[in-house]
Amino acid sequence: MSGPTGDKLIYVDMTDQSIDVRDFPDEWKLLGGRGLSAKILLKECDPSCDPLGPDNVLVMAPGVLAGTAAPTSGRISIGGKSPLTGGIKEANTGGQPGQHLMKLGYRGIIVKGQPADAEKRYALEVNGDGVKIVAADDHKGKWNYALCEDLHGQYPATASFITCGPAGEARLTGASVATTDQDNRYPARHAARGGLGAVMGSKGLKYVAVDPGKTSARQPSDRKAFGALCKDYTKGYLEGPQMFKTGTSSIVPIANMLHTFPYKNRVDGQSPDAATLDGARIVESFETRGGTMHNCMTGCIVKCSNIVNDAQGEYKTSALEFETLTLLGANCAVASWEDVADMDRLCDEVGLDTIETGAAIAILMDAGQMEWGDADEMRKLIAEIPEGTERGNAVGNGAVAAGKFTGHHRVPEAKGQAIPAWDPRPLKATGVSYCTSPMGADHTAGLIVNPGLAPEQYAWESQKVQIVNTVCDSSGFCQFLQPSLDDIRAFYGALYGEEVSRETIHDQGWQVLEDEWEFNRQAGFTAADDKMADCLGQDAVGAEGAKVVFDVPAEIIQAVFKRMPAQEELFTAKASG
Amino acid sequence: MPKVIIPPPYRGPTQGTTEVDVDGGSVIECLEAVDHKFPGFLPLVVDQDGAVQRFAKLFLNGDQLDSDAALRTPVSSKDEVEVLAAIAGG
Repeated sequence: MSGPTGDKLIYVDMTDQSIDVRDFPDEWKLLGGRGLSAKILLKECDPSCDPLGPDNVLVMAPGVLAGTAAPTSGRISIGGKSPLTGGIKEANTGGQPGQHLMKLGYRGIIVKGQPADAEKRYALEVNGDGVKIVAADDHKGKWNYALCEDLHGQYPATASFITCGPAGEARLTGASVATTDQDNRYPARHAARGGLGAVMGSKGLKYVAVDPGKTSARQPSDRKAFGALCKDYTKGYLEGPQMFKTGTSSIVPIANMLHTFPYKNRVDGQSPDAATLDGARIVESFETRGGTMHNCMTGCIVKCSNIVNDAQGEYKTSALEFETLTLLGANCAVASWEDVADMDRLCDEVGLDTIETGAAIAILMDAGQMEWGDADEMRKLIAEIPEGTERGNAVGNGAVAAGKFTGHHRVPEAKGQAIPAWDPRPLKATGVSYCTSPMGADHTAGLIVNPGLAPEQYAWESQKVQIVNTVCDSSGFCQFLQPSLDDIRAFYGALYGEEVSRETIHDQGWQVLEDEWEFNRQAGFTAADDKMADCLGQDAVGAEGAKVVFDVPAEIIQAVFKRMPAQEELFTAKASG
Repeated sequence: MPKVIIPPPYRGPTQGTTEVDVDGGSVIECLEAVDHKFPGFLPLVVDQDGAVQRFAKLFLNGDQLDSDAALRTPVSSKDEVEVLAAIAGG
């Protein structure tokens, strides 16, 4: 027995709306998610192309373990050339479509071309009968929640959706791709970073509907071994400390203590409003408003996602995360988590990355074009983005565009992408990841929360975490499950009935990074691009007497690009994003 | 001497030190001893009211300690107190 067989890839050419379903190459069976996306992009996408033109390729690839019984393993990668960074991009998200595509045996959707009429909208329908493209002009311009409400009535209740909001349709480079939650209803999960929503919009693709019907889970080669592995791993996790059971938003206080809760466009690393932005306030609200913690996809045992209700007990948004509370909250001097919840909903509606949007608005505030902490004006601004106002376009195109719009000098970014909450000044090894990751400033590519590292440790720590996270994002596992390379190769081994060695899994992670770096080189990136924004090397944060800037020498940063010998800890280190 | 294992996020105050041998007869005494050597460590584990921070977990020789009574748990010379910190992005 050899595990799942007969898998397919769906090729879609939007120029003539044609579909070609091809066999999935057997030699790629351990490639999924980010790794599969990188392989396809390097092979089939011209790195020098216009990211919003017909030659860009949009990839939707579930992880290797998606659709199986492995816990918390159904994530999907959205990939393409980023219109934000100009380099390769993979944005990873939960929700149901990854699980559903894999249950149907589809390892990926590859979207090429562009309709001649930019005003036309299309949808891709995937189910047990096959794949087809249908007209979706009736859904043009719809906000994500209204769209999914309509789709929920249009398709069977078993269908999940991948959607493009109006920001993506407007080709704004801060636009996200949304996926629906585990109840298939709310478009609350987002492949947010890098503007891949604009790529989806540029192809006239408004949504993908995936209906698995009553399809069962993918069957491993060795059911007994795979089942035992799932059981033991789940038991171990549930008996452990379960660090994320109240959500990522609950770490606001510790992030503030570590000076990595940026305030006012990062002029400070601590916010005076940490107590009112603390996710503990959200959890407290459950008692009177009826929100709860839940799983964003079936089979998830982490359950880090909060459902946030309004004062009347009605659903408002999900999940309100640490990154959103930081960038749309503290970084804009907004003090109330409820205001941030409103803006999170608006960003999900319009289809925008909350990190990029918060960073861009903070630049407008820092430049004196908005008042710090003016939540009402922020709500108005986000809501006007689909209308194409000059200010809305500047924010919808992200931090660098907001810097150009205002002429403001302080633009915290790396490779054109806004810095996430995790600050590269106290967390310098994380900064090295931002400078060297093919993804630009993306904490999920290589987060290292260790302010005690010595400079000579930065390169190895960054390379190690980048390899682990790359493999994790190729597997379908969520980073919050914190699997190690040894964990992942054990699951792969039981799935396909053959041992996956440490060398093989190390090679895979490194090769994905090599593929992505090569794409970026061909796109025109050089060593001169492997750097942090100047403002983060000039403006210090930290405790009095211990303030820090990002001052990592170029030779340490460049050391990440040379493969280092594997150490034991490479295989036991947990994914960290 | 009991040993306190420092989690990576808390190694700023300890200047990268990963383990500290301390004098102490209880978990809190061990943590206070670390703070005496590396000021700024204790507030990351214990809040102003003397309770364990909700984003920190304490383990004694690998067993998780109940958060209410954790700090008063007796410690002997060969024991290992490990602090874990809940850190993730998202």
